Amino acid sequence: MMEQAFFLILATLAVGAALSVIIQRSPLYSAFSLIGVFACLAGTYIMLKAQFLGAIQMIVYAGAIMVLFVFVIMLLNIRKEETALDKYRYLWLLSIPFAATLIVEVLYTILKVTSDFTSLPEMAKRPEVGDSQSIGYGLYTGYLMPFELTSILILLAIVGSVILARREKD
Amino acid sequence: MVPLSWYLALSAVLFTIGAVGVFVKRNVISIFMCIELMLNAVNLTLIAFSSFYREVSGQLFVFIVMTVAAAEAGVGLALVIAVFRNRESLNTDDINLLKL
Amino acid sequence: MIFFLQEQIPLPNPPISSAPPVQVNAILTDINPIVNYLPILLLLIIAISFPVVALNISSFLRRTVFDQAKLSAYECGNDPVGDARERYSVRYYIIAMLFLIFDVETVFLFPWAIIYDQLAIFGLIEIFIFIGILIVGYYYAWRKGALEWV
Repeated sequence: MMEQAFFLILATLAVGAALSVIIQRSPLYSAFSLIGVFACLAGTYIMLKAQFLGAIQMIVYAGAIMVLFVFVIMLLNIRKEETALDKYRYLWLLSIPFAATLIVEVLYTILKVTSDFTSLPEMAKRPEVGDSQSIGYGLYTGYLMPFELTSILILLAIVGSVILARREKD
Repeated sequence: MVPLSWYLALSAVLFTIGAVGVFVKRNVISIFMCIELMLNAVNLTLIAFSSFYREVSGQLFVFIVMTVAAAEAGVGLALVIAVFRNRESLNTDDINLLKL
Repeated sequence: MIFFLQEQIPLPNPPISSAPPVQVNAILTDINPIVNYLPILLLLIIAISFPVVALNISSFLRRTVFDQAKLSAYECGNDPVGDARERYSVRYYIIAMLFLIFDVETVFLFPWAIIYDQLAIFGLIEIFIFIGILIVGYYYAWRKGALEWV
């Protein structure tokens, strides 16, 4: 009961912050709203017993990725989206049926498909997952190849962004 | 105990908001942020299933997705800077040529 | 939630030969590990409410009359020139990007360090491959002068 109330509070905050992301005209306010969404999602991760990922969500997403976004917004000195965009007002009108279709479709699927498999007896016998130990066992034994490939991805990201962001002159 | 469908519904709502944001926003950085929002909605789904099935693979997917999101943000924002340097604009309608 | 509150109450006169009170803690966390995060939630609530309360109280107490002398720079402070939101140098971006990348790398080391003793030499080899590939990127950024502040 307490957990459900807490989930509802977190979900309301997350949806409100997410709406704020797309309603704000200034990208800086959008970025700070997005940090709110990430914090609320970290709370839901912890409620799902994915404690490690909840911490990583705060460290990587809210702590590093959003810092990068805010840096770029300040770097380019963007105040607002240009006001000449009012000719795209029709996109807002178009987006409402689009969003309604998407949400009805997904919610219908969720309500139809989700069965109560969590009360199966063999499910209760399995150990809980989500602490850093279980993540480590999964990542460094079964998923070793993706882990090593991740380092190549990160290497490419370093090289790509250093090349793209440097000025040609110096 | 919060049922699984609640998490999925929250994820669906967040994903829809992100998709609408990509649809209506005209600023490259705002579109980027909406994409991050959609990635996070999918992450929530993966973690919810992983936690209810007690199977660690879903959380490892999320781990990899976060890494990919970090790499994507690094390279994508560098692209934004490079485009802005040449075009002096972040509007997606001004960025309509493949060459810078 | 109630279990968590009960845990805080000190037991009167613990019997000598009974089980140690550490087991009570273990049982409580076995029920739901989320209970351990309640102090963080409390800290969050306090941290959010403190600035809100403090700012509101001071706005109730202070006089809201602003005149020329009050709005000017204090004593030997300079008058502000220009806008606070200047454009930043692109060097900040490269530093922030390198921070992000190596932040992610560090995150990968946490679960490895926890099960280091079970993985033994195998874990050492795989983490050396991982870090070795990343050091190539670090070396590249170094040679390209991304770390120099000119």
